[in-house]
Amino acid sequence: MQTNCGERLTGHGSEWRDSNLTPTDARTATAWVEQRIDKRSMLTNKDRVEDVRDAMWQLEKDGEIVVHRIHDEHEPITVKTLYGWDKRIPTTQLWHHKSCGQCGNIPGYPASLLWMMNQLGKTYLDETDQTSCTAWNYHGSGIGNLESLAAVFLRNFHQAYVSAKAEGKPEGYYYPLVHCGTSFGNYKEVRGYLIHSAELRERVKKILGKLGRLVDGKLLLPEEVVHYSEWVHVMRHEIAKRRVIDVSNIRATVHPACHVYKMVPQDAIYEDEILEGNRVAVSTGVMMALGAQVIDYSTWYDCCGFGFRHIISEREFTRSFAIDRKLKVMQDEAKSDVVIGHDTGCITTLDKSQWIGKSAGKEVDLPVLADIQFAALACGAHPYRIVQSHWHASSTETLMEKVGIDWRAKKAEFEEYLKEVQAGRQENLYDPRRRITSGPGYQKIEARA
Amino acid sequence: MAHGHATRVQTFIGDPFSETPPVPREKLESIFNDIQSDLRYDHELNGCLNCGICTATCPAAHYYDFSPREIVQLLWTENLEGVYDAMQEKIWSCAQCYTCAARCPFGNSPGGLVMIMREAAIKNGMESAKNVLRPFSRVMLKLISTGNQLSPDMINKDHFADWGPNISKVQAPLKVLRKAIPMPTLNTTETAWEVNLKTSVELYTIWEMTGVLDQLETVDENLFDVITDIMDEKRQDLEDWQEENAENDKD
Repeated sequence: MQTNCGERLTGHGSEWRDSNLTPTDARTATAWVEQRIDKRSMLTNKDRVEDVRDAMWQLEKDGEIVVHRIHDEHEPITVKTLYGWDKRIPTTQLWHHKSCGQCGNIPGYPASLLWMMNQLGKTYLDETDQTSCTAWNYHGSGIGNLESLAAVFLRNFHQAYVSAKAEGKPEGYYYPLVHCGTSFGNYKEVRGYLIHSAELRERVKKILGKLGRLVDGKLLLPEEVVHYSEWVHVMRHEIAKRRVIDVSNIRATVHPACHVYKMVPQDAIYEDEILEGNRVAVSTGVMMALGAQVIDYSTWYDCCGFGFRHIISEREFTRSFAIDRKLKVMQDEAKSDVVIGHDTGCITTLDKSQWIGKSAGKEVDLPVLADIQFAALACGAHPYRIVQSHWHASSTETLMEKVGIDWRAKKAEFEEYLKEVQAGRQENLYDPRRRITSGPGYQKIEARA
Repeated sequence: MAHGHATRVQTFIGDPFSETPPVPREKLESIFNDIQSDLRYDHELNGCLNCGICTATCPAAHYYDFSPREIVQLLWTENLEGVYDAMQEKIWSCAQCYTCAARCPFGNSPGGLVMIMREAAIKNGMESAKNVLRPFSRVMLKLISTGNQLSPDMINKDHFADWGPNISKVQAPLKVLRKAIPMPTLNTTETAWEVNLKTSVELYTIWEMTGVLDQLETVDENLFDVITDIMDEKRQDLEDWQEENAENDKD
């Protein structure tokens, strides 16, 4: 059993007894486990796995629901998920389902995504008629319930479905793209329960009816729940074509987000050529396409320590776990130059938990970025105006120096630009009038000229 | 749950040497029934061979007296006293990463079961839930009254001293820095993005209709009062706008 400063770790129940293995036997036992937990088969070795989409299509056939379809106009690209099932990822006409943590705390995360879409000529809508998925609060506090989570999911996705009407376009024009990993996992879990439970559908139908958010009197469900990292993944070769900075000297460690691939694991993307198909493909795929070195490390499967509740009120756990199980391992074992993630809470935790390590003699100095921020940097996005790296507590400057970006000059440019902003001359990635699609402040399309 | 002629031990839970009053069996059964009647319960719990792979991979088990294997066993064996005891503190240790669920050969979701137990703890007004959730009130106030869980003005040195001096590495007023984000929805300081008034009222309707406000009232009556006041005003604002808009349309 592990010890820590002479204190025995708990967590195994009162009846737990030490096995008293010799160090050699303990290593043998651990190696046996590691051979399995490091493989994709750990996730696929289950008796009961179903493709919930089959039941969804049947419900639509039975006239119970309407499915928001991915059409050719969304230019979908098909990928394979854990069991080799097809998943279609729409690549244009996207409705940005923003993340409260990203927008509040890491604004360069969504800004880099929209910037990249502009570079690639993809169309989208970023609007004000969206709520948080409420799942961070739910997983942290227990305030909320399946019904409220389902109603929030259906409300937001209904808004995505009807949003284009504000621009004189048809329903279903924009397809929702979910930015946050927790929203993504939560929505997929809730979708499963909605498809399987007539009782839940009945209960939320009353709510959506009251809000005027039914389609032909029926609930609207999406054909696929799509995470932004999946969009980045299918666009990775197009993104790589726009790379202007050599990143081949960068050793990157990827932190796969729990709610992206452990919640509803059968929906996560895997590719044989990406770490032999033993790791979720998103993020690693785009880093490889950009030419960076992706370095595997022994605790890749561990969570970041965010904990939902812990990041707010028990950060002793969050920072200890983040430092001991993730950051130190990435730094010391993998000699990482940058930590790459694809979820809000993970980026926050890994970025913000480093400074306090000094107080415990655990020095960590690792830049932390989302995959799309790294990709934007490599494609020439401004490190401050677009990537907004000044909000990152970790040393993004070190990374910039390694790839030859003069961050001091870029920072000075940004500080100059702030004077323009103060004078009301900020530049945006899209026409600000598009952000309001109904209610107070809405301006009809014909009045926008 | 079978319990015909209950002994005193079966009737009450409690340490015989403790001065804490025992919990009546009816109460234990009622709480367990709240857990078991959740429509997710049978999906999240399919059996357990005590293999412990969930606990071996659990981040919370590294630091707390918490074991997902123990939680599953307590529920699987319908150990009402143990379930009640775990709801006092242990269930709040779980980091909700779902590594346990991804790994379990039976397809159990200990993390999902913990969520059902947390909901039951709140519904039953357990003191543990009230204590644990007190620091969460800022997030709940923000979420329920705006539709956003986090806002830029919440990230400050008073609340996040351990994050170090770099809230932003460029020194400028928060308002200016937010305006310099090239997404017009993000030029805000009190919400993560600009939320339409209609949207936050819709979300509030969801809270009302799904019993979430009742949950809130159970754990924090003062917060409930503050939020209902704020939302009554917002609703009134929206109604005023709708009336005004209808009149303008007539003109």
